[in-house]
Amino acid sequence: MASDVDKRSHWETAAASSLSVDPGNDRSDSPAPALIQGMEPGASQDEAMFVHAQSYEDLTGEVEGMEPASPGLEGQIENMEEITQDFSKLSTQLSVSSSHSDEQSREAPCECGDSPPPVIQEADGELHPQDDWYQHQKHVFVLSEAGKPVYSRYRSEEALSSTAGVMMALVSFLETEKNAIRSIHADGYTVVFVRRSPLVLVSVSHTRQSEQEIAQELLYIYYQIVSLVTLTQLHHLFQQRPSYDLRRLLSGSERITDNLLDSMDTDPSFLLASVRCLPLTSGLRDAATYCLQQAKAKSLVFSILMSAQQLVTLVRKKDQYLHPIDIHLLFNLVTSSSSFREGEAWTPVCLPKFNPSGFFHTYISYLSHKPELLLLMVSTDREDFFTVSNCKKKIMERLEKRGTWTPLKEALSNSLYDVAQVGIPELRHFLYKSKSSRLFTSPAMTAPYNTEVEQKRLVSLYQYLHGRAHCSSHPLTTIYHIGPQENILAWVTEAFELYVCFSPLGTKSSAVNGVSRLLRWIRKEEEKLFILSSSTY
Amino acid sequence: MLLGDSGVGKTCFLIQFKDGAFLSGTFLATVGIDFRNKVVTVDGLKVKLQIWDTAGQERFRSVTHAYYRDAQALLLLYDITSKTSFDNIRAWLTEVHEFAHKDVVIMLLGNKCDITSGRVVRTEDGESLAKDYGIPFMETSAKTGVNVELAFMAIAKELKQRSSSPDDRKFQIYEYIESQKKKSSCCGFL
Repeated sequence: MASDVDKRSHWETAAASSLSVDPGNDRSDSPAPALIQGMEPGASQDEAMFVHAQSYEDLTGEVEGMEPASPGLEGQIENMEEITQDFSKLSTQLSVSSSHSDEQSREAPCECGDSPPPVIQEADGELHPQDDWYQHQKHVFVLSEAGKPVYSRYRSEEALSSTAGVMMALVSFLETEKNAIRSIHADGYTVVFVRRSPLVLVSVSHTRQSEQEIAQELLYIYYQIVSLVTLTQLHHLFQQRPSYDLRRLLSGSERITDNLLDSMDTDPSFLLASVRCLPLTSGLRDAATYCLQQAKAKSLVFSILMSAQQLVTLVRKKDQYLHPIDIHLLFNLVTSSSSFREGEAWTPVCLPKFNPSGFFHTYISYLSHKPELLLLMVSTDREDFFTVSNCKKKIMERLEKRGTWTPLKEALSNSLYDVAQVGIPELRHFLYKSKSSRLFTSPAMTAPYNTEVEQKRLVSLYQYLHGRAHCSSHPLTTIYHIGPQENILAWVTEAFELYVCFSPLGTKSSAVNGVSRLLRWIRKEEEKLFILSSSTY
Repeated sequence: MLLGDSGVGKTCFLIQFKDGAFLSGTFLATVGIDFRNKVVTVDGLKVKLQIWDTAGQERFRSVTHAYYRDAQALLLLYDITSKTSFDNIRAWLTEVHEFAHKDVVIMLLGNKCDITSGRVVRTEDGESLAKDYGIPFMETSAKTGVNVELAFMAIAKELKQRSSSPDDRKFQIYEYIESQKKKSSCCGFL
């Protein structure tokens, strides 16, 4: 096992030194630029455009010691042995669990066949055995404090009333003791509770996700509901009538929430709490940004160009910052409804991390369908539709006049880059997140990850790595795991998070080598892969 | 501007008019309000209709209210297979009178008239309600296209007439609808 440690320390130095020789970049003045926040590849040059977001930041209030360990600790490890043990133990654990999760993703429905799901079936006395319903991997329920159903991922809220009663009983039983229930682990199932007055969110799942990750997903659902009605209204409604049926107000929004839950299974942006940036040459991006900047209106706070869930550019009002969660909710809103595809839409949206008490009004219009290019403009004034609509006209005119439109469309139509471009043969896929800019980049999911099942599996592996790396009791900064179908690696530092997937035939030393080459490549391409300067009106 | 309860077929009605197609399949709730343009020719003159398609859900009321007062015409829809949507028409009209411009053109439309078996609101009920409020009425179907074009054309003609000088106001929306309605319902039965 000693060799493991050697390798690992070797690779850190290798990565650090390779980065410090980056020529002609003042950001590499520091001896180990990659390890200092704001110096990593992809870090913004001036100020970031997003609010600083930490993994599980909303959960840290409840749980102490959630902060990921700093790489400083890693450097001065006193008892290497402990780590080594941990590392080897983890490797075995991981191989067990990942083969489990491999099975799970394919055979999930069968796995619970022999033993009844503990929580749900308690209510089974009155329910018809809806087998399909029980087989879903992850159920999500939202209840009001009075125990009324608000949302259920797989519907049948009415039939759920007794189950809802059990859930509420569990929550209130512990609350009378001035305690709070966080999760129940039984029989391969994880039941996670998140309490955000006046709502209670519950997830019943059998995945390999950590409790914290599931809780984070539940918080997304909570924010999704807040974004539809605002927190002020939510409190007001339930204060006036604790038995209020919130479904009445949320009617028609189920698809938005469903879509959010589905995306969280396939899109790693939620996991990383960061925004995926569309690769674009900096000249073209600057030109597009300029067009957004020029079309300003008094009430505009943010203008955003997005394409296929990726950020093209963002212009913001001075001193106003968007939170990655809010931008995810905006992206989710527009992708979950095809009714935005034609015409121009104007809709109230609350951005819960920006201001949970009020609505913004968002202008949504597609500039182009193939390739997809979508313009979002967030305004403070409900009555400003025509002003904002006029801004869109100006943006389009300017894009065309300045000759940006055609090259932009061309660039968008092949925006996904192939992992082969990096030039590391064993490399299959990676996620690289710059912590200071809250942006991340990742190549297209190419074969063998080109089917939905495989994509989900890869994301679940990343979820697993992320969960281990950010685990509250044993945070890890480096994880290398040899699996039957791929070898995966995670490296979390103060400045960046890197999750890499290698071919199963590679060795650990080739992986270590690959990581430092990958980081060098990202540094070289950072102007294209990231948005390095944030623009204001 | 299209108004009415959630699910009465406002978006489908607009799509039928704009693209001549029927959106079948799942119910797509409109989010907020949706703005579209269509140019029609009325008596040789091109008229640009700017159409607001609104969300029927309660939580979007505040946005729709904000755009009432600039609207020159309101198409108020109910679903002939839903009693609630018909009963709510009175509430909608109260809102309209509160927020909209005084001389806004209002038209009442009973949508989904292609459905015969599930009908719960009789044609006469719609007619008498429209009479109470002094607004024109017709039954439409976004699915088959019955009276969809007519509704918008009647509005377009009325608006064009209002913008011209008061002396040559010859156009009567009621007469126009009555004369055209018969024709289209004949066609509908053929």
